Amino acid sequence: MVSAKVKETLSKVLFTAAAIICIVAVVTIFVFIVAKSIPALSKIGVFDFIFGDVWRPDKEDVYDQAINGKYGILPMIVGSIFSTVGAIIVGGVLGFFTAVFLARFSSPKVKKIFGTVINLLAGIPSVVYGFFGMYVMIPLFSGISPTADGSGLLVTSLVLGIMILPTVVALSKTSLEAVPQSYYEGARALGARHEQAVFRTVVPAAKSGITASVILGVGRAIGETMAVIMIAGNSPEYPDGLFGSFRTLTANIVLEMGYAGEVQMGALLSTGVILLIFIAIINLLFGLVMSDRKQHGSGRRHLREIKYDFSKAGKVLSWVTAGIVAVVLVLIIGFVFIKGIPHITPQLLFSDYKYGGEPSIGPAIVATLMLIVISILIAVPLGIATAVYLNEYTRRGSRMVKIVRSAIDVLSGIPSIVYGLFGALTFVVWFGNTTSILAGGFTVSIMLLPVVVRSTEESLKSVPDSFREGSLALGAGKVRTIFKVVLPSALPGIFSAIILAVGRVVSETAPLIWTMGSVIQPMPTGFLGGGATLAVALYALSNEYRYMNEAYATACVLMIIVLALNTAAGIIAYRLQRKLQGEKNVKRKKRY
Amino acid sequence: MLKEKKDTDVGRKNGTETNVKKAPFGNSISVKRADLFYGDFHALKNISIEIPSNRITAFIGPSGCGKSTFLKCFNRMNDLVEGCRISGEFRIGDVDIYSDATDVNELRKNVGMVFQKPNPFPMSVYDNIAYGPRTFGVRKRSQLDEIVERSLTQAAMWDELKDRLNKSALGLSGGQQQRLCIARALAVQPQIILMDEPTSALDPISTGKIEDLCSQLKEQVTVVIVTHNMQQAVRISDKTAFFLLGDLVEYGDTEKMFTMPHDKRTEDYITGRFG
Repeated sequence: MVSAKVKETLSKVLFTAAAIICIVAVVTIFVFIVAKSIPALSKIGVFDFIFGDVWRPDKEDVYDQAINGKYGILPMIVGSIFSTVGAIIVGGVLGFFTAVFLARFSSPKVKKIFGTVINLLAGIPSVVYGFFGMYVMIPLFSGISPTADGSGLLVTSLVLGIMILPTVVALSKTSLEAVPQSYYEGARALGARHEQAVFRTVVPAAKSGITASVILGVGRAIGETMAVIMIAGNSPEYPDGLFGSFRTLTANIVLEMGYAGEVQMGALLSTGVILLIFIAIINLLFGLVMSDRKQHGSGRRHLREIKYDFSKAGKVLSWVTAGIVAVVLVLIIGFVFIKGIPHITPQLLFSDYKYGGEPSIGPAIVATLMLIVISILIAVPLGIATAVYLNEYTRRGSRMVKIVRSAIDVLSGIPSIVYGLFGALTFVVWFGNTTSILAGGFTVSIMLLPVVVRSTEESLKSVPDSFREGSLALGAGKVRTIFKVVLPSALPGIFSAIILAVGRVVSETAPLIWTMGSVIQPMPTGFLGGGATLAVALYALSNEYRYMNEAYATACVLMIIVLALNTAAGIIAYRLQRKLQGEKNVKRKKRY
Repeated sequence: MLKEKKDTDVGRKNGTETNVKKAPFGNSISVKRADLFYGDFHALKNISIEIPSNRITAFIGPSGCGKSTFLKCFNRMNDLVEGCRISGEFRIGDVDIYSDATDVNELRKNVGMVFQKPNPFPMSVYDNIAYGPRTFGVRKRSQLDEIVERSLTQAAMWDELKDRLNKSALGLSGGQQQRLCIARALAVQPQIILMDEPTSALDPISTGKIEDLCSQLKEQVTVVIVTHNMQQAVRISDKTAFFLLGDLVEYGDTEKMFTMPHDKRTEDYITGRFG
């Protein structure tokens, strides 16, 4: 019996340790970035840093004399804000009306298909969006741009707008659907037309959810890196008109990290701090809206009567925007596929790459697989253990749960480039002071934690307590109950969490560039060697206009993999669910 | 053969002490001056009761009277409830089950439980039954086969299920699931089985089967059953305890209680004047 007790205690210690690691990770990242930025900030001066409008890093003049640099990031702050506002105008409006269309105007069939496709959009790697902007939209806009260069604020806003669409649509749609049907019926009973009932009753009642969705969208737009650096122009200046070249905070970090001197690196870390402050404000706003929503219920709040009746225009707009979004979706996916598929050749896929030779993504595929192995090996056990701790070992609503959960929330809100910055200054240094697959893997696994923890927790929650009681009542201990009953029952959810995590690894780019490698490389030599993943390879290829066909083909391969993974996650979860529940049971469960 | 099986059976292999000692728990229950609080709420008030072995004892009373709560004290399932405090003396056989020396898992092995809603695990029929024995260290396939057959036979469902042992238990009907849960509890050879309204979610035919089963089981085990259904208490129980608002109002032979209740409140309840 002693051994059983030891087992119980040991397991509890391990699960708790996993949760503590999550907290430690968050604290370490924050402390590290802030602490490392302080020397540079004190040298530059906080005021000059935030309100200075010249960014010109240290350099040597023609006589090898050092010229002290200037580090003012106001242009980048303005750039980030402008592009985010632009993204919200595009993505917020399109997303809102599309959500209204899906929730209240479309037929169930259209809703299902459309909804699935929009969710797929969320999985497409940001470098593919950047690639689309670079190769399709910029040439399109070059015709109307006064400088004959289509890059800049307009394109960036459009691309970011499309990227935040899934976020806005998903949450808005959910909150529109959560509005009690009685509101709608009440309005109809008073003689309101369908669209009047929707726009004057249902939409106002879902206001807080819609606001929250837009705030989340802001978070995503401001943290985006790869798509932006491919289309913004990147000069460290204020955006000058719709086609003015500009630089965002995220872009600033990734562009200069590779060759930054001491003060410059400090300035980049400080840029990271500013970015974190922005994200903190956004999270705060989101929290406020959500808690407001909880207090007042999703619609129990007093609604102001809307004076003007825009419902007819709203109806038209819903149909039109849904149409536009559908066309854009088809365009993005179709364009990449049509241009890319003919160029997917065995030579491109399977041959090794020699420096200076024809590009091949064989090594990138191998490097991607190696990265997946490492990051999944770290993040999945840690994430599952944390979720088990949160769901099985703590009393609901305890303080520890709150701390761990907010740590997880913070982790998922940090822009990926900040992880890249952190990884480049820690893991890269640890593992032989050079970019390596191992360093990339460690960096990405921290990013995966929230994904794994959250979806595992969800599936643990869905395991009925009666299973736990049944097992305990048979005299099984806690550990046995967890491993033999709870976790196996939660398996479908955990499986799809892992697949989603793999999808995330495949699509990440920004945090890998300076931790794992930024150029196309030959076959990886080992985990301590460098490598470029498919996504990074696409970025590298896109920058060399000589290999357009190969770039299209790579984008295509990347998209196929990610879409396949996301679909597989859904199917596997569904299959396992059915298998676990017995053939007849899927139906029976609903009847209860 | 039968005897030998018993000796090597469940649990006796796990740990050194249990190999030497006889199973420490008896099959009668004795409670003295028990109080139970949920936070500030006084859910059970100064309850004393002696539950005899190899009999069926029914707990009746209106919803919220504390009968299920009391039942869960016998296998310490109340330990899992937040803010639940228990005082008083609970003995099973001679063992004080709330003393620090008591191993909760060993207790629950000896005091099986069947819940209101059938709760088979999402595994095969076989694995459901084998779950308990495996918990206590039985690994041999032949031994497990025997236990599964014995338990299902005891629960009068071997013929029904012998061809479906590898099918998911969740594919069974509600009544079958509940009887499977009884078989699952029997697999570790408990001395006592607690049943918490085991038939409230079932149809009349399944209910009848479970009642028959209870009557057969009392040859081997002590059964304590919580029920809302007074007819059920009359049909199957030897003794009945009536609870009201946390008090044990009356306890005695079922026949006597339903024909000549001592207490006015008992009479009101069994004649359907409230509850």
